Amino acid sequence: MGVVVRLLPWVLGLLIALMALGPALGPGYVLRYDMVFVPGLSLTTVVAGADGFPRAIPSDAVVAALSMFLPGDVVQSLFLTAVFVLGAAGAFRLAVGLLHGTGPVPVVALAGGAVAGLAYTWNPFVAERLLLGQWAALLGYAGLPWVLAAVVRLAFLPASRGLAGLVGALAPAAVGGFSSVVLSALIAGPRALRRWRDAGLVLLALALVSLPWLLPSLTGGAETDPAGVEAFAARADTPFGTVGSLLLLGGVWNSGAVPPGYGEPVTAAARSLVVAVALLGWVWWSWRTRHAVAVGLSVSAGLGLSIALLGTFAPGVLVSLIDLWPGFGPLRDGQLYVAPFALLQALGLSAAVLWSLGVLRGTEWAPSGEIPGLGRIVTAVFLGLAPVMVLPGLLWGAGGRLEPVEYPSAWQEAQAVVSADERPGAVLVLPWSAYRGLEWSGETVVTLDPATKLFDRRTLWNDDLRIGTPDGGAVSVTGEDTRAREVAALLEPAPKTGLPTVDPGESPEVLGSLGVRYVVVSAPVEGEPLFTADGLSVLVEGRDMLLVEVADRYVDAEPEGGHGLVVLASVITLGTFLWSLIIVARIGSSSMGHSGMR
Amino acid sequence: MRKEIPVIKVIAACVIGAALAGGATVVATNLATESTATAEPVNETLYNYGDR
Repeated sequence: MGVVVRLLPWVLGLLIALMALGPALGPGYVLRYDMVFVPGLSLTTVVAGADGFPRAIPSDAVVAALSMFLPGDVVQSLFLTAVFVLGAAGAFRLAVGLLHGTGPVPVVALAGGAVAGLAYTWNPFVAERLLLGQWAALLGYAGLPWVLAAVVRLAFLPASRGLAGLVGALAPAAVGGFSSVVLSALIAGPRALRRWRDAGLVLLALALVSLPWLLPSLTGGAETDPAGVEAFAARADTPFGTVGSLLLLGGVWNSGAVPPGYGEPVTAAARSLVVAVALLGWVWWSWRTRHAVAVGLSVSAGLGLSIALLGTFAPGVLVSLIDLWPGFGPLRDGQLYVAPFALLQALGLSAAVLWSLGVLRGTEWAPSGEIPGLGRIVTAVFLGLAPVMVLPGLLWGAGGRLEPVEYPSAWQEAQAVVSADERPGAVLVLPWSAYRGLEWSGETVVTLDPATKLFDRRTLWNDDLRIGTPDGGAVSVTGEDTRAREVAALLEPAPKTGLPTVDPGESPEVLGSLGVRYVVVSAPVEGEPLFTADGLSVLVEGRDMLLVEVADRYVDAEPEGGHGLVVLASVITLGTFLWSLIIVARIGSSSMGHSGMR
Repeated sequence: MRKEIPVIKVIAACVIGAALAGGATVVATNLATESTATAEPVNETLYNYGDR
C-alpha cells in the first residue's frame, strides 16, 4: 500500500474521534461515572493500590506514568482519541485484509474498510460505554480487530514472531485491564483453538499482559458480591426487549448511559434495519468465502451474546459461578460481551456495501478499472454512513454530555496541601458514598468522586456500589476494600447523609486509630458545621471541598508499603512488550499488518 | 457496470449519497433532541452509581 493508503485508516479514525468527542477534547477534564482523571495522578499511590481487586491497575498506572510528562487532561484526550483511532484503523485493516487479502488494494476495498472502521466505532456499545465512563474497557474493545488479525497470522509465522505480534496487538487490552483481556480471550479463543500451538501462544500472551493485575488478585483474596449479577445484568434500552437491545449492541445496565434519543421507536427501528443488513452481509460473505475467520468470529459473537444474556435469563448460573470462584465477577456486566458481535456487524456491513457496489462476484473481484453504476455508488455511500444516521446521539461529545471542566481552586489547594505533607496517614473521603453529583459544568453529572484519586496517599472511601432499580428501590453491591469496611464499622455513617454518627468529641481518636491524617468532605453538606472538635483543624474550605487535618498526636499511621508483586509483574509485562517491539522491528513489518489473512 | 462513467459523475454520486445520509442524520438528531429518554439525575445528597 502507498503512504496515503497506509495512512487512510488512521486519518479515518481521527476524523471519527473528532466527530464523536468534539468538545471533550478541549482543555479540562471530562468527568462522568467511572471516568475520572485528575491533575498529577500519583504513580506510587496507584501501584500501592487498595486492599481488594486491583481494578485500577494497569489503566491508572499508565495514566499516572504519562501524567509525569503531560498534563492530566491531555493524557485523557489522548486515551479517548486512541479508542476511536485504534478501533477504526483496526477494523478498517481487518476488513481490507479479509475481504481482499494481499496485493494492491483497489479503491472499493478501501471503501469497504472505511465502512467497517466507522461501524465498529460508531454504535450503541461504544456510545453507552463512553457515557458510562469506561474508557479503559473501550481501549480493550478498540484492540479486538488487531488481536483477531494477530491470531489469524499465528498460523503463518514461527512461534516467536507470532507471539511477538500477538503481544503487541494485546497492548490496548493490557492497559484496559481485566475486562479487556477477557474480551480479547473471547475473540481469540475460537480461532486459536483450531491448533494446540496457537492456543498455547494465545494463553501465554494473555497471561503475560495480565500479570500486573492477575498476580495481586490471585494472591489478595479478593471477593465478588453476587448481588452485582442482578444489578449489572443487561437491560432493554429499546422497545425490542433485552435480547433485541443486545442484538442492536445496546442493553447497558445503566439507564443514564443511553445516548440521547437512542431508545425511541423510530431510531431503534432504523438501527435494527442497519443491523439486519450487516448480518445479511456477514452471512453472504461467510458463505461466499467459507473463511475460517467467519466461523471463529461467529462463535465468539455467539458466546459473547450468551454471556450477555446469562445475567438476565439465568442469573443463578452466574451466581453459582461467582460463588465457585470470584474471578467470574467480570461476567456480571453482561452487555460488555457483545463486543465481538460489534466486530462481526462492522465486517458484515462492510461486505454488504461491497455487495451493493457489485464489485464482488462469486468468489472473485470485478476486473479492476470497472466502475460501479451511479445508483450503486449513491446506495453504498448512504449505507456506509448509516451507523451515524441511526445514532446521532454520539455526535459532538454525545450531544454535549462529555463536557470538560476544570477542578475548582479549593480542590487544587487541598491536593497541594496534602502533597506537601510527608508524614504518613491516609485520607478519608466523606460523605460515605462513592458517587457524586458534580455541578462544575452547570449541570449535574454523576461521577465517581474525584477525591478518591486526587491525593498522593492511601485514600479510604466507600467502594460499595448502590444501583437504583425500576421500582424505586436500590441494590447495594458490596465493595472490595477490606479497610473501608473497618472504617464504616467504626464511623457508622448515616445512610441518608453519609456523614459519621460517631460522637464528635471522640472523632479525632477514632480517625487517628484508623490511620487517618486528613478528612476530605467532597460534596456540599448542609446543617451543623462538621469537625469542630479539638484535635481537628480545617485547612481548606470551599463549596464542595473541605479538608480537615487530624492532630498528629492522634494519628497512628505507618508509611504505606509498596506493592512488590505489582511492581515485579509490571516489570515482566513491560519487558515482554519491549521484546515484542524488538522482534517486530527486526522482521520489518508491523505486528498489526493485515497480510496473511487469506 | 460501465467503464465509460467519468470520474466527475462518480464524485457526484458520492456527494449525493453523503447528502442524503446527512439529511437523514439531521432528521434523526431532531428526534433525539426532542426525546426525553435520557434524564439527568436531580440534585440530591448521595448519588447512586446508576439507575436501571
